[in-house]
Amino acid sequence: MDDKQTEVLSDKSPKVALVGNPNVGKSVIFGFLTGRYVTVSNYPGTTVEVTRGVADIEGQKVALIDTPGVNSLVPMSEDEQVTRNILLHEKVDSIVQVADAKNLRRALLISVQLIEMGLPFLLTLNMEDEAASLGMEIDKNKLSEILQLPVTGAIAIQKKGLKEIRKKIFSSKVSPNQMRYSPDIEAVADKIEKLLPTAPISRRSLALMVLSGDKSLFDWLHAKLSDEVIRQIDHIRGELSGKFHEPLAYVINKQRMKWVESILEKVVIKEAGARSGLLAWIGSVSMHPVWGLFFMLAVLVIVYYFVGYFGAQTAVGWLENGLFNTYINPWAKTFFAKIFYFSPFLQDIIVGPYGVLTMALTYSLAIIFPIVITFFIAFSIMEDSGYLPRLAIMLNRIFRMMGLNGKAVVPMVLGLGCDTMATMTARIMDTKKERIILTLLLALGVPCSAQLGIVLGMLGALPLWATFLWFGVVGGALVLVGFLASQIMPGQRSDFMMEIPPIRKPTGLNILTKTFARLEWYLIEVVPLFVVGTLVLFFLDRFKVLPVIQRAAAPLVVNFLHLPVEATEAFLIGFLRRDYGATHFFDLFREGKLDAIQAIVSLIVMTLFVPCLANTLMILKERGLKTMIAIVGFIYPFAFLVGGIINWGLRL
Amino acid sequence: MKSNCGQAPQRPHEMDELLEHIWTFREKGKEINKALLTELGFENLPKWLQSLETEGLIKIQGEEIHYTKTGEEEAQDIIRRHRLAERLFADVFNTSEETWERQACELEHKSVLTEEATNAVCAFLGHPPTCPHGRAIPRGDCCHEYSHDLKPFVTPLSEAKIAEHYRIVFITPKHHMRLDRLAVLGVLPGSDIYIHQKKPSYVVRVGETDIALDPEIVRDIYVKKAA
Repeated sequence: MDDKQTEVLSDKSPKVALVGNPNVGKSVIFGFLTGRYVTVSNYPGTTVEVTRGVADIEGQKVALIDTPGVNSLVPMSEDEQVTRNILLHEKVDSIVQVADAKNLRRALLISVQLIEMGLPFLLTLNMEDEAASLGMEIDKNKLSEILQLPVTGAIAIQKKGLKEIRKKIFSSKVSPNQMRYSPDIEAVADKIEKLLPTAPISRRSLALMVLSGDKSLFDWLHAKLSDEVIRQIDHIRGELSGKFHEPLAYVINKQRMKWVESILEKVVIKEAGARSGLLAWIGSVSMHPVWGLFFMLAVLVIVYYFVGYFGAQTAVGWLENGLFNTYINPWAKTFFAKIFYFSPFLQDIIVGPYGVLTMALTYSLAIIFPIVITFFIAFSIMEDSGYLPRLAIMLNRIFRMMGLNGKAVVPMVLGLGCDTMATMTARIMDTKKERIILTLLLALGVPCSAQLGIVLGMLGALPLWATFLWFGVVGGALVLVGFLASQIMPGQRSDFMMEIPPIRKPTGLNILTKTFARLEWYLIEVVPLFVVGTLVLFFLDRFKVLPVIQRAAAPLVVNFLHLPVEATEAFLIGFLRRDYGATHFFDLFREGKLDAIQAIVSLIVMTLFVPCLANTLMILKERGLKTMIAIVGFIYPFAFLVGGIINWGLRL
Repeated sequence: MKSNCGQAPQRPHEMDELLEHIWTFREKGKEINKALLTELGFENLPKWLQSLETEGLIKIQGEEIHYTKTGEEEAQDIIRRHRLAERLFADVFNTSEETWERQACELEHKSVLTEEATNAVCAFLGHPPTCPHGRAIPRGDCCHEYSHDLKPFVTPLSEAKIAEHYRIVFITPKHHMRLDRLAVLGVLPGSDIYIHQKKPSYVVRVGETDIALDPEIVRDIYVKKAA
């Protein structure tokens, strides 16, 4: 939590949690209530971490918690567990259950469980506009009457219905309308209930979680109960599960669904009609087996023109030549020459050939910045429109070959923006095996936007076959390494079971705030590393270490890869940032020091090369030391080996 | 209420057993003779063969043994019940192989599974052509009707048609986790389901939720046409 924000809270400040299915707009509501921006997207599972903030409600400061989306409060994934644990461990004073109005069925499945937990809440039917456009009509009064809870409507993205939420947040109620299960389940739940410890949520709900076989409760139960009692519970549970040929969790879910259906019958005045309109059409076409491919191609071309052409060439041109090389750098050179007239050393550090300003800041702000901004804008649009899950459908098969599934599309595409950021989102994969494979592939062969911009720039100047070769080698390496890793590594591939949100028109404001938030993160992450990298190069150059390393690396760089000796410098700097290394090659290429074969070999090696420092640290943080060493230890020789093979093949 | 569960007169199971074995031997292309049947290790084999002949189910000519017309029909029914039961317990209930094989032996008798019930199971399973071992299931009357007009009662969702509405009858996943995940997305028996597309990945719609699924999962969801 922000320090500034927590200050205003006291221990007595009420705590309110936003709970609901994935992708129903909890974060949007959170943002409006607290005035804070949280990452919002049209993609289930955007909120992986819990966000906390302060909302000013009716003159009272309230601690508001934005929880990850859940489909059930019997957790089946990490994020679902996070949400359930908040309810289990933190005494929340009130809950706002946010529902997607057109998916009331699934929302009520959660309501049943909240009622069971004995927690006070109010139900907000969000996205009423989408439900209305499908011709759906819901009787909110009737629903409120049946559930005996306040029910409000909202279109959060248009700020509609927020006032009502504020007004009713404290009139939330504990609903007395408990759902009854079949007598055999009720009897057993009663028995188990008596054995359980008290908690902020009702023992009845805990008993039903235990019956559902909730493994995530294991530690908590063991901490609170004796082994003897746990054995007793196991025994009771075993007896009941013997009566059903289906797992108990499923039996319970089925009964819940029946209850939900009986409510729906009474409150749904008009069912959803057929989908129509342009957005629905785009939604269908973009995942069509044939048209979907054309759509994908079209998206690729548009993104290429926007990022690779407008961002990487036009905008870079303005900034690099128009701003930095014409105004800032010459001016700075004279300025610092005057200030540090006594020390050419200090002058060089700032404005020399390896100077912080002339190299680090020019590179990071003039060359990388425009590429990254344009990429993040493009990514945000794809994300908010709901195209990414459709891309996942198109690419599921290829990802399956690599031991992943379509869900991996989000981190992979995000990796084209920044691998470090993408490595962090590898969490959305369900199994450890998938997370490791994904992390490996991101580090190995997904070039980040800055690097990609430069690679594309170089490829544009080479004959067309070079582009195909680069793409084929990098893509082939990804599929091959993914395939082998999935064969070698123990563990499982998880199911591809993904909710596909409707196509929505992205709002400009959200795109901008999101791009800005990502950019901020990127700048904090990137610029310092550029400066550090430049300083390292500066000292290596100044103290004549560079030639020593160049000589040491000569057998590899010069003999094996047939690259000029200066290439070592690019690889060296590539350790710090891959894109930085690539930029170096770009310069060598522009200066005519690389021929076509050398250019393509260096491009391939650099793309497959070790991830940048930030990414390596992120791998360490997310996956642990052993995995990090294994990944880096594999990629380094592999990149050079592939480069060597290509070089040898092209010179045959 | 008076129970209707009195014992119907029944043929000793050993006789059904023998009729069944003759069928499978014949299926494997073997000549049926006394020596072959002796290998099965039945107690009192001569006595059972005698009874079968007396009831007009088989003809014994020296060493050789043949079905009579009635005998062949009876045997066919036993095999049909046995193999359908195997399918039911293997595919639908996901019981262990040991269990479904034993259950099938119990259910193969006419006194246990009536013809009407057998046909109902057959229809429920979508008139499967083979048992889990891959051997042919003899067709019943219900199956012949099927070839004219009747549609199978239940089909895997993977066989269902695009853009038509179905109702989920049962789900037989490989592991519980999958079942639970489907359940909370609203994919449960009784739910209406609609196939939006099959390629490049399956996309189904349950309520107003679109869900992309792996083909393995879709194959485990059994549906019937919505009324």
